[in-house]
Amino acid sequence: MLTPDEWERYDRQVMIEEIGQEGQERLKRSRVAIAGAGGLGSPVSLYLAAAGIGMIRLIDHDRVSLSNLNRQVLHWEEDIGKKKVDSAGTKLKNFNRAVEIESIDENITETNVSRLVGGCDVIVDAMDNLPARYILNRSAIKKKIPFFHGAVNGFEGRAMTILPGKTACLRCMHQGLAPEQKFPVIGVTPAVIGSIQATEVIKYLTGAGNLLINRLLLYDGLNATFREFTVNRNPDCDHCGDPLTPSLSQPSP
Amino acid sequence: MPVKAHIHATHRRFTNGQEVIEVEGHTVGECLNHLIRQFPEMEKAIFAKKDKLHNIVEIYLNHASAYPNELLKPVKDGDEIHLVIMLAGG
Repeated sequence: MLTPDEWERYDRQVMIEEIGQEGQERLKRSRVAIAGAGGLGSPVSLYLAAAGIGMIRLIDHDRVSLSNLNRQVLHWEEDIGKKKVDSAGTKLKNFNRAVEIESIDENITETNVSRLVGGCDVIVDAMDNLPARYILNRSAIKKKIPFFHGAVNGFEGRAMTILPGKTACLRCMHQGLAPEQKFPVIGVTPAVIGSIQATEVIKYLTGAGNLLINRLLLYDGLNATFREFTVNRNPDCDHCGDPLTPSLSQPSP
Repeated sequence: MPVKAHIHATHRRFTNGQEVIEVEGHTVGECLNHLIRQFPEMEKAIFAKKDKLHNIVEIYLNHASAYPNELLKPVKDGDEIHLVIMLAGG
């Protein structure tokens, strides 16, 4: 049920045929875990709060620093030194007080990930490193929670949506680790990719449109182009491959 | 018709700024070796060691991920190889 305020607030998106009243009520009932409250997490959480998601769980263990402010638009100068989940949570609450905000000030590890994402309908990858992404990817598959990948560097970004057990996952694409180092980025890049991730979440929750499944979308801001590559499920994938399927890389007995 | 190798922006300094290089070979690996013969600096850019790509290098063949065993994937005339750099920032 939507309240009179909600009917007014979400009037323009309820007008969208693919959303309607039913879609809006689904958004209101939805619980979204956003892993990372930085460059990607800022636009993702802001637009999902704008759309009327019922509960947003922010997970981040970092504090706001001056060098974050070129891209992490939920954090302002007055927030330097604060926990990112507190800084972001305050803005989101002031933006849309009907959205329940859960702030979790923890690093994501193999040990705690199940608890951190438990009870959520979707998980958004707004992380800044591959090891945490792999932990989330595995947990999403294990718990059968859709996972919305995004990553950026410089003027480039990428996004893909993962439906556990049905579509290719992050590990179907690559399994190696990249060196952890400070990455270059201009704030508009995570703004673009985070907005695409938020769009995917809204589409998934409302059943609208076609998802970015088995498709990796690459954004090149310098040339203002999008490119798309097919990613198929890897039967040998160590996260989503079928353990009962004989490995193709192993010789037959 | 040769195979076209699309070079990622960060690697174009090794190919005199060229985005698309014509290469030859029966597999992705052979095509990359032909690329390196034309532009030797590409070797360090894409290979960690012999027959082992850097973890951050992704190969797409005809717009589809070639992972895993990318270098062994067969190619034919007219095919397109994209060399892409994995992104990890957020």
